[in-house]
Amino acid sequence: MSDASSSRYSYFPGCSLTSSAGEYDASFRLVAKELGIGLDEIPDWNCCGASPAPHHWGGNLGVLLPARNLHIAGYGHEAMVAPCAGCYNRHKNAQHELSGSEEIREQATRVLREPVRYEIEILNLVELFDREVTPEALAKRAQGRLAGLNFATYYGCLLTRPAKIMNFDNARNPVSMKPLLMATGANADHFPFKSECCGSYMGLAHKEIVLRASRRIIDVADGLGFDAIVTACPLCHQNLDLRQGQINKAFGTNIEMPILYFSQVLGLALGLNADDLGIDSHIVSARKLLAKIEQGAAERTARAADASGRGGASQAVCAAGEA
Amino acid sequence: MAIRVSSTVPGGADVVADIERRSGERVSACYQCGRCTSTCTGAFAFDYPPHRIMRMLQLGQVDEVLNSRTAQICYDCMTCSTRCPMNIDVANVIEHAKMIADERGIEGDEKEIRLFRLAFLKNVRRHGRLHEARLLTWINFRSFRPFNDLSLVPLILRRKKIHIVPPRIKNRQEVHRIFREINGGDK
Repeated sequence: MSDASSSRYSYFPGCSLTSSAGEYDASFRLVAKELGIGLDEIPDWNCCGASPAPHHWGGNLGVLLPARNLHIAGYGHEAMVAPCAGCYNRHKNAQHELSGSEEIREQATRVLREPVRYEIEILNLVELFDREVTPEALAKRAQGRLAGLNFATYYGCLLTRPAKIMNFDNARNPVSMKPLLMATGANADHFPFKSECCGSYMGLAHKEIVLRASRRIIDVADGLGFDAIVTACPLCHQNLDLRQGQINKAFGTNIEMPILYFSQVLGLALGLNADDLGIDSHIVSARKLLAKIEQGAAERTARAADASGRGGASQAVCAAGEA
Repeated sequence: MAIRVSSTVPGGADVVADIERRSGERVSACYQCGRCTSTCTGAFAFDYPPHRIMRMLQLGQVDEVLNSRTAQICYDCMTCSTRCPMNIDVANVIEHAKMIADERGIEGDEKEIRLFRLAFLKNVRRHGRLHEARLLTWINFRSFRPFNDLSLVPLILRRKKIHIVPPRIKNRQEVHRIFREINGGDK
């Protein structure tokens, strides 16, 4: 499986994954390689405009910036994958607008100086892995490595909303991460705050919104005894992880809830190195979780040795007796 | 807070029709159940909660809506939209009110969020990609809060979560053309 097949997917990393969410990029690339999913980064891609672009100047900026990426996305590929929920959302929105309006297509064609192409299929990270890996295949490779852990699956807003455009999972009760997480041996019990908003990009202008919104999410996950929150969005990650200290300070709490990317959890399940997956580049330490994984591995080894070697053990006792 | 019927403006109905046409949402279908407001994570920071914005639009009180803190702050998480029993994408309605306010040059009182959005776009126009380090320092100085989030800086630096050197794409001209095309190039 690890001998990479030809690159079937076009990869759009986006701005966050090249800086503040570098560990999301690293873990995604590693896991994709491990699973034989070939990726070609789109050369010379630009920022999708994120949340500010559609708000200003008539809104079409939020279509034209992604349109340039869709145009150069590499049409020999099966689909384009955008692991950042924001980039995924903006590109799907732009595609929707482009396909529905001759006027916008003309506008895009004018700036690109050739007829705009936009029809490439766009996948988010959960969607890509769901398509490429069956739970059975993952379970076989993971060998129950993450048994004993319980993950809160957190989807946030942008992966699924607006439902009629994203057309992915269920906007109110998304479940798409669950089958693969369960295949790692872990549990993914129902997390009631899975589609609540973390406060989005309000961190700089209205920090109180982010602290209040994100607090509810980590507080509920903590109260329900989850080992970590799993996300597929760099902005959610930033609010829940980087600002967790601010949240504790503001509300007098003492929560220590690791926030992991979906790709990092799959990487851990495949036995990849935690440092390479960037687990320690998070602000909230995941050392308790990693210790649990190691402890589980040690117990399984001991049990295996015990089961396969009842005879071996008694031989050892005999040998000791003879000596 | 009572709704001031006296402030209903002539021509308000045209703007509402414009919002309905551009967003594709039926503002008139709202029957004020309040589910949008009950799920809104930002309502505590708004002046009018989402269901009240819907009512004000029905009454043609567009000036209040376009100048509201709600239209400026709402960050489009779309939770309200998933809960509406009439299938109205409430966030989309507010989003279009925000766009119309911007087209009319209404700046409103929410200076910082406006500053953030514009600084973000200028940053992208310049580099083709977002340069986070520059955006954050620029915002802090322009909003006269140089020490905002200072406690996060060592955390970010230690984990190499920010790049000092700006990213640059090759075909920046094309990105510049996009900004010029939507007439935002000079703003």
